[in-house]
Amino acid sequence: THCSCILCGPTVTLAVVLVGVCLCTLLSEKVTQMMEWASKRSVIRMNGDKFRRFVKAPPRNYSMVIMFTALQPQRQCGVCRQADEEFQVLANSWRYSSAFTNKVFFASVDFDEGSDVFQMLNMNSAPTFLHFPSKGKPRRSDTYELQVRGFAAEQLARWVADRTDVQIRVIRPPNYAGPLLLGFLLAVIGGLAYLRRHNLEFLFNKNVWAFSALCFVLIMTSGQMWNHIRGPPYAHKNPSTGQVSYIHGSSQAQFVAETHIVLLFNAAVTMGMVLLCEAATSDMDIGKRKIMCVAGIGLVMLFFSWLLSIFRAKYHGYPYSFLMS
Amino acid sequence: MAEHHAASDGKHKASANAGGSVHGNSRPGAAGGGGGGGGGKGGLSGGLTQPAGWQSLLSFSILFLACLAGFSSRLFAVIRFESIIHEFDPWFNYRSTHHLTTNGFFEFLNWFDERAWYPLGRIVGGTVYPGLMVTAGLIHYVLNLLHITVHIRDVCVFLAPVFSGLTAISTFLLTRELWNQGAGLLAACFIAIVPGYISRSVAGSFDNEGIAIFALQFTYYLWVKSVKTGSVFWTIGCCLSYFYMVSAWGGYVFIINLIPLHVFVLLLMQRYSRRVYIAYSTFYIVGLILSMQIPFVGFQPIRTSEHMAAAGVFALLQAYAFLQYLKDRLTRQEFQTLFFLGVSLAAGVVFLTVIYLTYTGIYAKIHIPIIASVSEHQPTTWVSFFFDLHILVCTFPAGLWFCIKNINDERVFVALYAISAVYFAGVMVRLMLTLTPVVCMLSAVAFSSVFEHYMGDDTKREKPPAEDSSDEDDKRNSGNLYDKAGKVRKHVSEQEKAEEGLGPNVKSIVTMLMLMLLMMFAVHCTWVTSNAYSSPSVVLASYNHDGTRNILDDFREAYYWLRQNTDEHARVMSWWDYGYQIAGMANRTTLVDNNTWNNSHIALVGKAMSSNESAAYQIMRSLDVDYVLIIFGGVIGYSGDDINKFLWMVRIAEGEHPKDIRESDYFTPQGEFRVDKAGSPTLLNCLMYKMSYYRFGEMQLDFRTPPGFDRTRNAEIGNKDIKFKHLEEAFTSEHWLVRIYKVKNLDNREPLDHKLRSVVPKQKYTSKKVAGHILFCCFNQK
Repeated sequence: THCSCILCGPTVTLAVVLVGVCLCTLLSEKVTQMMEWASKRSVIRMNGDKFRRFVKAPPRNYSMVIMFTALQPQRQCGVCRQADEEFQVLANSWRYSSAFTNKVFFASVDFDEGSDVFQMLNMNSAPTFLHFPSKGKPRRSDTYELQVRGFAAEQLARWVADRTDVQIRVIRPPNYAGPLLLGFLLAVIGGLAYLRRHNLEFLFNKNVWAFSALCFVLIMTSGQMWNHIRGPPYAHKNPSTGQVSYIHGSSQAQFVAETHIVLLFNAAVTMGMVLLCEAATSDMDIGKRKIMCVAGIGLVMLFFSWLLSIFRAKYHGYPYSFLMS
Repeated sequence: MAEHHAASDGKHKASANAGGSVHGNSRPGAAGGGGGGGGGKGGLSGGLTQPAGWQSLLSFSILFLACLAGFSSRLFAVIRFESIIHEFDPWFNYRSTHHLTTNGFFEFLNWFDERAWYPLGRIVGGTVYPGLMVTAGLIHYVLNLLHITVHIRDVCVFLAPVFSGLTAISTFLLTRELWNQGAGLLAACFIAIVPGYISRSVAGSFDNEGIAIFALQFTYYLWVKSVKTGSVFWTIGCCLSYFYMVSAWGGYVFIINLIPLHVFVLLLMQRYSRRVYIAYSTFYIVGLILSMQIPFVGFQPIRTSEHMAAAGVFALLQAYAFLQYLKDRLTRQEFQTLFFLGVSLAAGVVFLTVIYLTYTGIYAKIHIPIIASVSEHQPTTWVSFFFDLHILVCTFPAGLWFCIKNINDERVFVALYAISAVYFAGVMVRLMLTLTPVVCMLSAVAFSSVFEHYMGDDTKREKPPAEDSSDEDDKRNSGNLYDKAGKVRKHVSEQEKAEEGLGPNVKSIVTMLMLMLLMMFAVHCTWVTSNAYSSPSVVLASYNHDGTRNILDDFREAYYWLRQNTDEHARVMSWWDYGYQIAGMANRTTLVDNNTWNNSHIALVGKAMSSNESAAYQIMRSLDVDYVLIIFGGVIGYSGDDINKFLWMVRIAEGEHPKDIRESDYFTPQGEFRVDKAGSPTLLNCLMYKMSYYRFGEMQLDFRTPPGFDRTRNAEIGNKDIKFKHLEEAFTSEHWLVRIYKVKNLDNREPLDHKLRSVVPKQKYTSKKVAGHILFCCFNQK
């Protein structure tokens, strides 16, 4: 018995080691393959075969975060495209961060490339985000709650951190459009100034300055900053009747169209006031001045009462109106 | 409101009369104190005997009536309810003022409040702007010195309305410097009743903003005055006023950025003068030193980015002045111009970077939950602009237009003021307050210029000859593109022609319609003040069908219960909104309050509220909580209750403890926040839910609704069988608005095993057991 023990022991160990080595090589092969793909593109594109081999089949010591989507144009999935952008942002932040390891990989499966995967997982909606943990079966919380949390990269990062203990700091590629536009504008202004460097009178033109100041003030008082921060829709179309409403019914919110209307009305009242003064002070002939005066007071009255009526429609319980209700 | 109508009628007359002579007043400053003085004097002396006397009497009475209207339209809350401190922050201010008057100024500066932020405490003296308390304390002291014995509470309640009268006066002064006296009177009337300012200064709203707007306007007035005259006297006055502003409100940062911006723009427009140099250099140095005397501000003015613009402009001004000095000595002007351009560009870049940094800083802060959760920190819709400013919001761009068209040094200032304030008001609702004064001023300019042209009668043609002589002065200056000392007067002289053109009918129609607009404005202001801004929010009122009124005094009832029935050192946990009120009215220790300086502490309270009972009990034990106070509006349909704020508690808790609290757990799978049966089980079992709805399931409010029907959220609650293990209900107010729970002590230990005891004597060798028993006893005694 001793003998066999001595003999058997190494064989069994050898077998275990062999299998282990075999698995290890398979695993390391898979990992190197994944790393190679990940170095090419931060979101690995998968079809049915790859999915089965690298995600479903053991062994695996890495977590997979997979987006199931339908990006082909004929699918007409607008949400998928937006979600894809956010997912790319997240994957890139991970790929190019200093903490990048082979613990987590990001991948996507397109419906038109791997519809069998969709069938296998019993999935019928896209986009869906799933996490396949390195150990054990996916649980309920490994399905990302898209409806509740939205698909912002920051939310996804929190979910990933929650599931895999990998903290990803989302770094969005800076948006160069704004600075570029500003630079372009400055260049144009500078160029104009250079071209007209012998005649810089226009810089001293008060009308230009007054006009731009007024534009800024009108933009602000019509709530464009609110639009910028909150991003409301331009107008609302009632799906059942097809009626388009430009004015939001509540005083807590507004549509973009509405703010444009208000901007115009405010501008009209302002113009009316200016016209009134111009009519009294300018040295044109009397007929024209009378017309200016009547137009001015008309503008002030008409647009102010119109504005008041819009306000009244929005602010429920407001009792006053003027000319029109 | 009768006073106001009288006032608005009167002031138009004044502006019409004022036309000729007041312009003379404003000129000497603008023209640099040159030969124009004679013209002005002539204008005054021409009508010295009667019209000037009438004019000043009229101005005085209009101003007085404006102050009176401003004061009395802020008294709705006092008349409807009683003389009571409103809302949340004022309660802290009141408590501090009370401390100041009872213990003296130095004791107040050193005050360490151990009743707030238990167990951390709060250094009040060093974390508060003391101007408000000192002002109220001083008034109280003076009144008592004169043997007029009033309670400090009444001083606090009426402080804001009194200061709104002072604001009207300082606005009048500032607008008079910028345009003319008529516009000044209009501006005073506007600011007295405009809702954007009333919202922060009704009687009982004892808050920093109430006195700060006065300080703001007065500082600006003195600044404009010192730029006009270039005298150190006015500048020192400006610094003192600035010091008062710094002591009163954090919004002083607006001043310390706007004034340098003004100087910078003046330099860019090549409007540099000795006056500007003297004014700004003095202001910066003295203002800096004075502002550093406030303990809360300390060394911030030389450290933080929002003060750097002022320092940069100061350096730039010195460099510019030096160059100007060199320019007189040297001849190579080209070189100097280039040099100037380089310097100003560099300074501009620095300035913009600073602004950008500040902007991004502010923007980042908006996204922190605790800041985002405060409703005042939201961007502004056009409706709130219109609601707070009414006709003024449409007409003030016209005033801005007139100011820029007839630009001079001080109108540059008002234009910059308008543009920056309108930007900040767009970003944040609460900064509407800083926009309001400038809107009033510029609207007054617009209305006043219209009235000036359309209200004049034929008698106006008899002009004092002095005006003509001063026109030569204009012509001399007209070569200079910028100096526009005479432009306003040109209007007046052209007005004669205009009067011949537009007949009296057109004129009177225009005047009538304009007056009607102003009347609508006055009516709107009164309505808004009465309906939107005059609720103390400590006492609620509801109206029956027949118009009779029910007073719901649940808050004070509950706070008084706490005061009378709990231990003096009991610690009360509540959401931070109610911290100041508990401290002020119940005089009990709180864990968190409206001074939200410690986010993690607040998150801990939020975590306790959103955990289940046993987890919450551990947190509450570790924080030594004795009572928990919540606000529940389901019985009367009060929408500002804790369940409606609950998601913010969850969010703030999640920010600090993402492992334990997850916002998504509180939603249904469809992503809804529901309190009925379909609601998420985590929500239905969390502490806040249980405390809100304890015993509510038995309550049938109405025959048409099932028992346990929540009127605020219009739903039948999902968890009617609520039992507590570690808490017990201590108090529920009449309308269930406030509910207080007592946190039980730890349960007694399991009773000792009798068997063991009875067995012990029977055993012979019991050294181990006896030892163990003794040890246990010792432990127990500890």
